[in-house]
Amino acid sequence: MTAKVKSPQVKQRDLGKIIRPIFGALVAAYILWRLYNVFIVEAKYGPQVWVSLLISGLIIGAVYSLIAIGYTLVYGILLMINFAHGEVVMLGIYAGYFVFEAAKAIQVPSSLNPELVFADAYPALSIFIAFIIGMGVSATVGFFLEKIAYRPLRKAPRLIPLISAIGASLVLQNVALLLFSPQLRNYNNPTVMARGNGWKMIINETPVNVPYTGVFTLILSVVLMLALLYLVRNTRLGKAMRAVALDKDTAALMGINVNHTISSTFLISGALAGAAGVMWGLHNGQVFNTVGFIPGIKAFTAAVLGGIGNIPGAMLGGMFLGLVESVGPTALGISFQLKDVIAFAILIAILIFKPSGILGEVLAEEKV
Amino acid sequence: MKNQQRREVIQKGLIFALLIIFVLAIGFHEIAAALVSRVFGVSVRRGSVAELRFMMYFFGLYAFVTGWANIRKEGSWQQKFLQGLLTSAVAGFVVAIFDLLLVFLVSNSIDIRQYLTAFSIPSMSYFLFEKGQAGPLYHLGYFIVFGGLGALLHTLWITEMVQQAFEKTKGFIKTFATKASDAIPNVVKKYGKYLLLLVAAIIMYFLPRMWGSYINFVVGLVGLYVIAGIGLNIIVGLSGQLMLGYAAFFAIGAYSVALLNAPEPHNILLGFWPSIIIAIVMAILAGILLGLPLMGLRGDYLAIVTLGFGEIIRILLKSDLLENFTGGPRGINDIKGPTLFGRPFSNDIQFMYIIFIAVALSIFIYQRLQDSRTGRAWLSIKEDRIAAQATGVSLRKYKLLALCIGAAFAGLAGGISAARNQFTGPNDHSLLVSMNVLSIVIVGGVNSIPGIILGAFTLKGLPEILREVENYRQLAFGALLIVMMIKRPNGLWPATRPLYEKSHCLENEELNTGKERKND
Repeated sequence: MTAKVKSPQVKQRDLGKIIRPIFGALVAAYILWRLYNVFIVEAKYGPQVWVSLLISGLIIGAVYSLIAIGYTLVYGILLMINFAHGEVVMLGIYAGYFVFEAAKAIQVPSSLNPELVFADAYPALSIFIAFIIGMGVSATVGFFLEKIAYRPLRKAPRLIPLISAIGASLVLQNVALLLFSPQLRNYNNPTVMARGNGWKMIINETPVNVPYTGVFTLILSVVLMLALLYLVRNTRLGKAMRAVALDKDTAALMGINVNHTISSTFLISGALAGAAGVMWGLHNGQVFNTVGFIPGIKAFTAAVLGGIGNIPGAMLGGMFLGLVESVGPTALGISFQLKDVIAFAILIAILIFKPSGILGEVLAEEKV
Repeated sequence: MKNQQRREVIQKGLIFALLIIFVLAIGFHEIAAALVSRVFGVSVRRGSVAELRFMMYFFGLYAFVTGWANIRKEGSWQQKFLQGLLTSAVAGFVVAIFDLLLVFLVSNSIDIRQYLTAFSIPSMSYFLFEKGQAGPLYHLGYFIVFGGLGALLHTLWITEMVQQAFEKTKGFIKTFATKASDAIPNVVKKYGKYLLLLVAAIIMYFLPRMWGSYINFVVGLVGLYVIAGIGLNIIVGLSGQLMLGYAAFFAIGAYSVALLNAPEPHNILLGFWPSIIIAIVMAILAGILLGLPLMGLRGDYLAIVTLGFGEIIRILLKSDLLENFTGGPRGINDIKGPTLFGRPFSNDIQFMYIIFIAVALSIFIYQRLQDSRTGRAWLSIKEDRIAAQATGVSLRKYKLLALCIGAAFAGLAGGISAARNQFTGPNDHSLLVSMNVLSIVIVGGVNSIPGIILGAFTLKGLPEILREVENYRQLAFGALLIVMMIKRPNGLWPATRPLYEKSHCLENEELNTGKERKND
């Protein structure tokens, strides 16, 4: 016998529900107006401009994707924003920088060129070493970060580890500042891979540069992402990670070493961050102590955009954000200084209108 | 057991050795020596290092602490002492091995300063006590001698006899204090609070005249951060919403006052008093605009969104887009200060009064709010939002209210600071400011006014006075945040729970045992 109880309708004036559509309509109208202005009224850019913007967007998007995966993996398991992830990337960039400096300093004289240096004699090998060391350094930093700053707080309320992560971010930034000085440094790429070198693509009788570093970045990041997907879907460790993300206690009862799995997650996300860092260095070429902050926040945006906890989502979100950020300022006809504003505005808009992201979030149910 | 001890000795020794190596790597040993030298009353000229003996004192002190911190927890006193000594010796040994590398670099004059700033040759040889190849031996010797001393003293300190004597003194002081407080007549007790306030007001009136302008500047800064800290505490501490873009409200307040009071770019010259009110109103409006769409978000998302909001405001202020309106990256200069009955407030001394009054006002408003129905609604939301909702607390309304009131405080602090510095620019409102205010609240003590004042003094005041440590300030902030979260999540001066809550807790103590309290 089930009596149907009509639940009383709670009437609550929800201002947010009124304001949200208005806000959304305003933003959409603004964007449409700007697009109309740029594409139809002014129409001063030919296809070559858009192609080159798309290329640079894809490249930067690939880097964002790799960083975003780190956020997503950690958030999926610990339900915390690893605020220091951008700094892990930064240390990876520095590690790569030092490897290339060393490779340029070691001389390998040959009969043809007595002043040949290691980096130019074996460019592939030196880039390989840079990636290995960069990934190693970042993975180690991630590992100890979890061990020192996050592990003691695993049972604490959710905002406490976030504050600890902010502290860790400040510490890493300032350690880099004090160790390496605030000086801006330039990456010393092997001559073959020098920045700006690339294939020339002729569009509309104008050459469009497709940089070698960019193509390399794209290919390597796709390889790394496929490897990660394989690892998460097909290996024992991946299975353990998914189980821990779903429910830590039950996973522990099934004989999974939770601490070990979480540490491995931080190692993996750190390694991806390190790879992203060396790519960033090779392609953009500048290192300083706060270099990781903005990419870090943007990658988090990308992770939220794709649906946090969702690995393909993070990849998609990263690519999308890279493209929007690269094409956006020109397409909307606003100053290039404001490209960060676009990223942050996307973040805010996503969280207001669809907090679960494009592909939906994959999270443990208990804490949300 | 033996094995475990051996591992502990090696592990701790390694950690302490790595710490001192880290100190060298960030170049802190020179600063530490300079600080020690200041303790001994010998001032160090700018751009030079302290005398060598102070570096030795610092190193000795470090070795002493190593020994002191690492004695064994249980066992006979010989065992305790031995473990401290051995750990210190291990640390010394590791440091000595590392020193060999330094000796190699120094003796071949290889300068790697280009890559690692602190490893310049003078700095390295200073670390080696300028003893060249004998440096490692000196370091090892220091660790053994002073580490042993530290271990010995700590072992003696925790012996029964000394502890009993210590307890006795403590008890004596306590009884003396109670006797003294009993001796105070009731009238004084009842009205003593107001008397204290009066005395404080008189002191506050005379102090700024006696301090130099530098101290006034520092104390004024601390005062502004206290106001901002109280505001942020309403958002973070009372209603439990983590906010990382607090500097945006600060910026809105500062720019409101600046734009209405500077000859460029608008030349409105409205006067300080109306414009500070406009600043507060603008900040509140910004709080409403930000808050309305975002109130439904979960905690960490809200944190990131507010961070994004803060960055958007800063980037917009910095961009060319608004250059004609806000002065762009150059900021706004020559902001006119306030005048009262025709008398201008021009110097730091007079500004101190405004800041004192603003701080007092903020504390008063905060106290009244905290004890009101609203304050309890906020606390209930923070502790358990579902239960709060079930008892009829409107989440949206109270969260928004907290955000607006917090924003108002930031607007006030920002407006005063713009008028005081006669300048405001986009870089005054970077993310770092938000982080500083957050650190002040959390390190000082969430929901605790004395805690926030203490936090503002330790995090903003001390580094200004100890100018040597300036470069290490942010590092210390970060480390403090982590350590506080792990060791003392309630802050340096934690808030006392209100009385009505306390009695309730005592009644239910049996029920609560075993279950972790999850406040703050």
